[in-house]
Amino acid sequence: MTTVRKLACLSVFLLAACGADPAPGPVEQIIVREPGAAPAVTLATADANADDPASALLAEGKAAFANCSACHSLEKGAPNGAGPNLFGIVGAAAAAVPGFSYSDALKGSGITWTAAELDSFIANPAAKVPGTTMVAGAIADPAKRQAVTAYIESVTAN
Amino acid sequence: MGKWSRRAFIGAGVAAGGALVVGVAVRQGNPIDKLSPLLTNGENEQLLNAWVKVDTDNIVTAVIPHVEMGQGVYTALAQMLADEMDADWNKVRILEAPADMQYVSDSIARDFLAPDLQVPAWFEPTVAGGILELAQAMGLQFTGGSYSVRATGQRAMRTAGAAAREMLVAAAASEWQVPASEIATADSMISHAKSGKSEPFAKFALAAAEQSLPAKPKLKSPENYKIMGQPMARHDIPAKVDGSAVFGIDADVPGMKYAAVKAPPVIGATVESMDASTAKTMPGVLQILNMGDFVAVVADGYWQAQQALNSINAQYSKTEADDLDLDAIFARYATSLDEAGEDGGDMQTEAGDVAKSFAGAATKVEAEYKVPFLAHATMEPMNCTAWVRDGKCDVWSGHQAPVNARQTAADAAGLAFEDVTYHNAYLGGGFGRRSTSDYITMATRIASATGYPVKMIWSREEDTAQDHYRPSATSRFRGGLDKDGKAVSWNNIHTHLFDPADAPTIPYYNIASHKIRKVDVPMHLRFGPWRSVDHSQHGFFIESFVDEMADAAGKDGYAFRQELLAESPRHLKVLDTAARMSGWGSALPEKHGRGIAFVPSFGSIVAQVAEVDMSGAKPKVTKVFVAADPGFVINPDGFTAQMESAIVYGLTAALYGEITIKGGSVQQSNFHDYPMLRIDEMPEVEVILINGDHERLGGGGEPGLPPIAPAVTNAIFAATGTRIRELPLSKHSFA
Repeated sequence: MTTVRKLACLSVFLLAACGADPAPGPVEQIIVREPGAAPAVTLATADANADDPASALLAEGKAAFANCSACHSLEKGAPNGAGPNLFGIVGAAAAAVPGFSYSDALKGSGITWTAAELDSFIANPAAKVPGTTMVAGAIADPAKRQAVTAYIESVTAN
Repeated sequence: MGKWSRRAFIGAGVAAGGALVVGVAVRQGNPIDKLSPLLTNGENEQLLNAWVKVDTDNIVTAVIPHVEMGQGVYTALAQMLADEMDADWNKVRILEAPADMQYVSDSIARDFLAPDLQVPAWFEPTVAGGILELAQAMGLQFTGGSYSVRATGQRAMRTAGAAAREMLVAAAASEWQVPASEIATADSMISHAKSGKSEPFAKFALAAAEQSLPAKPKLKSPENYKIMGQPMARHDIPAKVDGSAVFGIDADVPGMKYAAVKAPPVIGATVESMDASTAKTMPGVLQILNMGDFVAVVADGYWQAQQALNSINAQYSKTEADDLDLDAIFARYATSLDEAGEDGGDMQTEAGDVAKSFAGAATKVEAEYKVPFLAHATMEPMNCTAWVRDGKCDVWSGHQAPVNARQTAADAAGLAFEDVTYHNAYLGGGFGRRSTSDYITMATRIASATGYPVKMIWSREEDTAQDHYRPSATSRFRGGLDKDGKAVSWNNIHTHLFDPADAPTIPYYNIASHKIRKVDVPMHLRFGPWRSVDHSQHGFFIESFVDEMADAAGKDGYAFRQELLAESPRHLKVLDTAARMSGWGSALPEKHGRGIAFVPSFGSIVAQVAEVDMSGAKPKVTKVFVAADPGFVINPDGFTAQMESAIVYGLTAALYGEITIKGGSVQQSNFHDYPMLRIDEMPEVEVILINGDHERLGGGGEPGLPPIAPAVTNAIFAATGTRIRELPLSKHSFA
């Protein structure tokens, strides 16, 4: 095996996938919207006016709810996910959303979801209701909890 | 870094020139000027040479010019540097080298091109410089080929550590006015017993830079190793356990959006048109792109992008491969092998007169073997984040060749290499897949079109169907045995050779007459290196046929190989060790069998014995015994883990691995049809490591893989009498 032959093999090994063509741009580019521009359909109007402290709080809550939305929907009539649909949850009794399989712990908790109860639950679900199947999504930051709770409540009010 | 004198730079260049950056330092100006801003945090840190730095806290930072993809390279290379330097292991930090041309792995190129080259010290810079230029031309900052420890570690890290230590000692000797020979180093401290003086390395970092350097720093001999050879805890493990490790897919850039992509199912086709009418209305969608060779959807979130992409109905161009099925591919192989006949194809190695030895053989054996295409199936799918704006480009990903990735991004964005910053992260599996740069190109092109940062993530389906595959291959053998059952003739022709060139050859087996050829067969699928590369096919071919010859000779596989290795004591020791570990020859339960296989690759010698239980509907591999001699094991825990993981990867392929082609497209898409080895299928693995030649190290990442498939199929033959000549095992019925 000569040196030249080895070099050839090595080059193939490394450069096989480097495209020989200069990278072309799109053949067709459909720009639906720019980043940051409001989508055509919004879930809530909370971020309408960021100068208003109440709006700012709701905007923060909406942003923070993005983490919750992995399991919970806030859309009226939307199906349950890994967690129950939370539309109208403020003021409702615990473990009452139809079609969701709750833990015995939550079923037996007797909680009514006031904003304060929601706040203490979100702070540490397993401490508030030992045995709950809500194993993710705890929010340690009190300000963020307040924002999320306010946002959940505002969506329901709309 | 004005404190560095020009003379010291050039001196350092010549001295540390055992191999690396240094040769170029003389030719192209001092590389350290360019590198220091990338590596230092403040005025008080002194860069001793390109591979190590010492800061004022007496922390020694090893700069690792390789990427971490689970193989433990950070730890092993740092051990090599720290040991030669006499650094305190607890005060060693690790920094991955930036994707800079100054870090190209010229020691790899050197090992590849001129492994046995010995030159006088004064000549080193010239030779090293020449090889470095070659390596730079190929963009070779590369992790693969099981090269890191045996090439970069041996030639660069150890030399750098030893050079740094000698510079520090010289500086201390000068300051203390004592002979350097009276000075001792240990645990990052420099001491002089007679005067009772003792100071940390950092005290002399500045003065060390002014010292002239030895032409070839003296390396330790094995009896003086303190850190090399020890099972130091892996540097990367804590972060991977607590979740803080950052992989390419974890890139987080402010304002970043997400792209999902789909390429034409038939590789080589183009996107002729797309109907995105539904996708346009879907939540989160920002842009829909027909890039010609693939479709991309950019959205606020990855899931939104993928859902919208799934709704797009694209039309693809026709290609010549549209009617191609896997059977036709193997039929092409057969035709090409037939056409090559007795003398066609490319000769790889030949000794003696094979036709004559075969004609005169008392026993003749013939067999044909086939192996399938394989995907890499890295746990982390292909992904890349790119941001192209204002004539600059930033790219975040995990890639086995960062300099190549950076150049690829520059080409894709139409920018100069200098205008691209490439940020490499941990690789969630490489196996060769991440040595190709298609995903870097795609993300950079998308980001060029959007103007804002975009993270492109391939779905698992895309990752499976658009891989650069381990090639399928067919290999035919004719062997001859004399009247005593000794192998006298070996004739092999096969359809595949990619790298390394020695994969089909058997120089360690004493067979006087042999002839090994390959034929080229054109193919539309994209080929890529896959863990152990060609040894993954040829290990199975060769070790299956050796076993068939043993059977024809009326000998067991171990005894037959012992005869073939009789004149190679180092090889024989590895074979004997594996056999002894397994209790070779002792009784096994009904329907159980043992198989042995022996494959030297990437400079390491590995033998494995597999035990299988064939009492069920499918093979159950119960135990694997591994004996390995990589010359000298730098980190026994890490090397053992590489043997074990190679068995996981290789056994997955042997049992299940198969990419099939229908109508030119890959038929597999996800783990339901491209399964991985499950935990209940994992055999017990025992590993014994042998240090057979401390001066010439072998690799660790790949050599554990080639023997596992033939060890298992040879065991199946022992248990059932059924000879497996085609992988994977899931194609066969054992009921």
